[in-house]
Amino acid sequence: MSANDILDVLNVQRDESKQPVKKKQKTSNDPYGSGQRQSGMARELYNLLGPNTPPVNLPLAGTAASKASLKLKASPWTKMPFKPNKHNTDSKDVTFSHWVKGSRELLEQEEAKKPYFFEKYNVKIDIPELVDEETYEKFMEEIKEREKRIREERRQREKEKREQEARDRERREKEQKEQKEAANIGDKSDSKSSEDEMKVKSEDSPIKDKKEDKEKAESIHANDKESYNTISVDDSSSKDAKDSQESIEAAEVEPEDWSYEETQYLFELCGDFELKWPVIYDRFSYPTHRSVEDLKEQFYRICIKILENQSTSNPALIESLSAYSKPRELERKQYLENLLRRTPAEIAEEESLVIEARRFELAAKKMLIERSHLLTLLDSPQTTQQVQQFQSSQGLTNLYNNLMIIDKNQKKRQLQQQQKQVTTGNQEPVPPPIPIAASSSFKKDRSFQTHLQQYLSGLLKQSQNLNPNVKRESNAIQQLLMKRLTQKEEEAYGLFFHGTEKLNPGVILRSTQKLPGLQQKQSVLKSVNAVLQELDIPTAGGTSWKPVMPTRKTMTKYDELIRSVVALLELKKGKDKLEAEIRLIKSQRGLQ
Amino acid sequence: MSSAANSTTVYGGDEINAIVLDPGSYHTRIGYAGNDFPKVLSPSYYASPADESMEAEENKKPVRRIFGEDINVPRSNYNVHPILKDSVIVDWDAALDQYSYYFKKVLNIEYNEQPILITEPVWAEPKYRQTLVENFYEYYDFPALYLAKTPTCVSFQQGRPNCLVVDVGHDSVSVTPVIDGICLLKNSMRTHYAGQFLSDQIKDLIESKKKENLSVEGIYKIKSKIPTVFPEPAEFTTRNLPDKITKSYDEFQKQKIWHEFKETILEVPERRLTSPNMQQAATLKEFYSSESHQRAFEFPTGQSLNLGYERYQLADSLFDPQVYKFHNEELAKKYPPNGGELLLKSKYDDYRPLKRVRKAESNQSTPPPVESPTKGDKSGKSDVRGLSQLITHTLSTIDIDLRASVAHNIIVTGGVSLIPQLTERLYNELTNTNPGLKIRLHAVGNSTERSNQSWIGGSVLASLGTFHQMWVSKEEYDEAGAERILNSRFR
Repeated sequence: MSANDILDVLNVQRDESKQPVKKKQKTSNDPYGSGQRQSGMARELYNLLGPNTPPVNLPLAGTAASKASLKLKASPWTKMPFKPNKHNTDSKDVTFSHWVKGSRELLEQEEAKKPYFFEKYNVKIDIPELVDEETYEKFMEEIKEREKRIREERRQREKEKREQEARDRERREKEQKEQKEAANIGDKSDSKSSEDEMKVKSEDSPIKDKKEDKEKAESIHANDKESYNTISVDDSSSKDAKDSQESIEAAEVEPEDWSYEETQYLFELCGDFELKWPVIYDRFSYPTHRSVEDLKEQFYRICIKILENQSTSNPALIESLSAYSKPRELERKQYLENLLRRTPAEIAEEESLVIEARRFELAAKKMLIERSHLLTLLDSPQTTQQVQQFQSSQGLTNLYNNLMIIDKNQKKRQLQQQQKQVTTGNQEPVPPPIPIAASSSFKKDRSFQTHLQQYLSGLLKQSQNLNPNVKRESNAIQQLLMKRLTQKEEEAYGLFFHGTEKLNPGVILRSTQKLPGLQQKQSVLKSVNAVLQELDIPTAGGTSWKPVMPTRKTMTKYDELIRSVVALLELKKGKDKLEAEIRLIKSQRGLQ
Repeated sequence: MSSAANSTTVYGGDEINAIVLDPGSYHTRIGYAGNDFPKVLSPSYYASPADESMEAEENKKPVRRIFGEDINVPRSNYNVHPILKDSVIVDWDAALDQYSYYFKKVLNIEYNEQPILITEPVWAEPKYRQTLVENFYEYYDFPALYLAKTPTCVSFQQGRPNCLVVDVGHDSVSVTPVIDGICLLKNSMRTHYAGQFLSDQIKDLIESKKKENLSVEGIYKIKSKIPTVFPEPAEFTTRNLPDKITKSYDEFQKQKIWHEFKETILEVPERRLTSPNMQQAATLKEFYSSESHQRAFEFPTGQSLNLGYERYQLADSLFDPQVYKFHNEELAKKYPPNGGELLLKSKYDDYRPLKRVRKAESNQSTPPPVESPTKGDKSGKSDVRGLSQLITHTLSTIDIDLRASVAHNIIVTGGVSLIPQLTERLYNELTNTNPGLKIRLHAVGNSTERSNQSWIGGSVLASLGTFHQMWVSKEEYDEAGAERILNSRFR
């Protein structure tokens, strides 16, 4: 029974105005109302609420479900014993217990089959097993021999290098001496003027001498230590070189022999600490003092030997192992060390340099962009179709429309690109693609040339492609085209720059060209024709007046002539008019 | 967690309720792995009757020992003893007694149900470790145990496998590089310029002022008090106490005062207080003596003392251990100049090879650790390393390839590191001395977490599923032998 029912029973007029509101509410309450309307009692109670909405959206439908869920049995958790190292026979069994979801019986069944979940993470690194002492000794012999050979080779190389450098130095010194002598002679001859020079020299020379001394001393030193490699010292970087020299010396000192036990110990540690070299070095407490590099070297070279003697070995692995080089490693670390030893001032300087470099880069990119914009402006549309189709007015409008569309698209694209740059934030500006006509070789040859030049150079290129034999010749022409020519030369070559003149695309014969002076009325033209015939000036014939030989000069002269003829005719016409008028007035006055 | 990306990652935890024991030189922490805080946090001290201990030795009767906060109850004739020194157990009987007290009486655990993880300092000697392991196997009935190095635990707590753990604790300051969760022992350093050093300085400072009407009494003696300020005499009444309160008990109570002083008053100055420039030193002193830098410390007697420059000077001694000059000769002797090098023993120490070839040590990228402190003694003053010098030195000894990553992950831990401004000062000094490295300090913000960080790390470690293959059972220990287990399993 709803409130409406009661109103019906009591015959009370329903408030019509509230009706739609109620309906609306009913529908809005529907989602949770529908489920609850099934039971009569709740529906009546709910309807008694009338137009008011319940204050809290109670999960009416959920009550039954939650009751049902309460009846469910709690999922069992069992404290299960487990062995973390089930398959590892090395370790003694320890049993721990953890809580697992599921009933005991079920879990016990499963447990028997499954290994401990985390056991799969317990992986051991695969290291070749150390061979017995005898083979080890053999290996070491071989290794030593090989290394000795390498060392000797290197020594030889270094020696040669040193000798070469010594020769160079001698030559340099000689040259210097000669120069000095020459200067001295010069000084003598012109002592007064070179007084300043002398001063500079005297300041300079002790330093030079000292340097030379140093060099000499070092070369002696090098000779003493014939067995060591000495890098000949350059004046500027004497300190660095000394460092490296020392390092090489250190590497060259015959390393302490690795006994079998020590190697065994090393292999053990490598296995225990999974080749984490810093840790191995840390735990390596054999009385012989080894560096990480020593340890690595020994391990790798022994491994190589072991693997080489195995039938089933991976050659790639051996190669990668033999890539290790102790001196190089030491050198690398030395570099790193130096890098870290920079002072704050040096770091700051470096940073500022980097920033500056970046600025330059940005500027260069910006310039590229601007240039490409400029090039797009210079770019003229290329003719791909025949000229005839543009000779009619329809063709021209088509062309115009096409050009407009292209232009619009270009603008739009530029806008889009700009927007993209804005949205992507501080991304460095990327220069837009250079238009085809302006790009690469095309750009180089054509963009800054006139059409004639373009045409010519294009032609040249074609001929080049066709006939490689004319290459040289054409090159000369090309060079000529690139040059700035004087007026005379231009005339001689028949070059002409059109400047502001409007040109039609395509090839035009001057004989078909219309002269600008001919844009006159037909009647005028007739009289012009008469005048020309009168003056006996030859034309190409027909209605189009042309000189017989339409060269540029004759064309312009001809044009001039026609213009002056037209002007003359006009003048004559005016004169005639005026005369007629005078006559008329005279006759009117009766003067005649 | 519901996203698909996470479905591939495995939840690495697997609780087996292992016990984690972290004996520190000030506090001992015991609790269950997987918890975020130890269940038991007890001072590493015990109280025992002074005369009884003698009798017990004779009669083979167990000594009656009191642990935990109960130590603070004033009893007649009860001595207070430390169990650990430098995070190393020195009083084995008491230690085992204390642990079994907590295991059985407080936590009520069955030994055989779970393994135990024990933390140990980096400088623990092989012999000590062996004793520790053997004692635990014999004395208790744990099925398995594991020794974890404290810095390793700290690195686990922070989840940083490569880091430099700077532990500013009670007895010692230690700096340990951790690589892939394994401590590098040769590069580790330790000095004693830590909490106890500060406490002794405070004690020295207060004692020197004691003549001028400053009365310092343990809180246990005070019944009532009226607040006064230092030049005025203290006004308080004492409690009725059992007679024959021992000296060690009184000292223990006074230590608490120093400790409180340390926690509330000290602050690290922005810059080194001693400088070769006298002018600058004077201005610094003036600056820190100003009114705004003064704090008052109230002693249990109700008397409060205003301190300005001293509170900075004391804290500065962590960075510059020689800034404070002891009035008391004996205390000064307690802290000989210490460069922080650790003496590590190995089984090969007595063996010397016959042929020694000169090595160019200067050029090795991994500088060999300084072999003996005697070498440093000659250089004298420069050998005393404050906190930042200690770290810088450690950084300079680490392999060049690791240096950058380690410098970027410096973890500052330990209770004394909670002194205000300590990390800031440390950061400034380290960035100044290592311009080429990018220094980053990590310090837990929560103060209780910072002082118990190693326990929490142990708790993390022992609750990992992958860790359960690492436990070492007694049988395995017996079979493989102490040395092998200690070196290759408890790494």
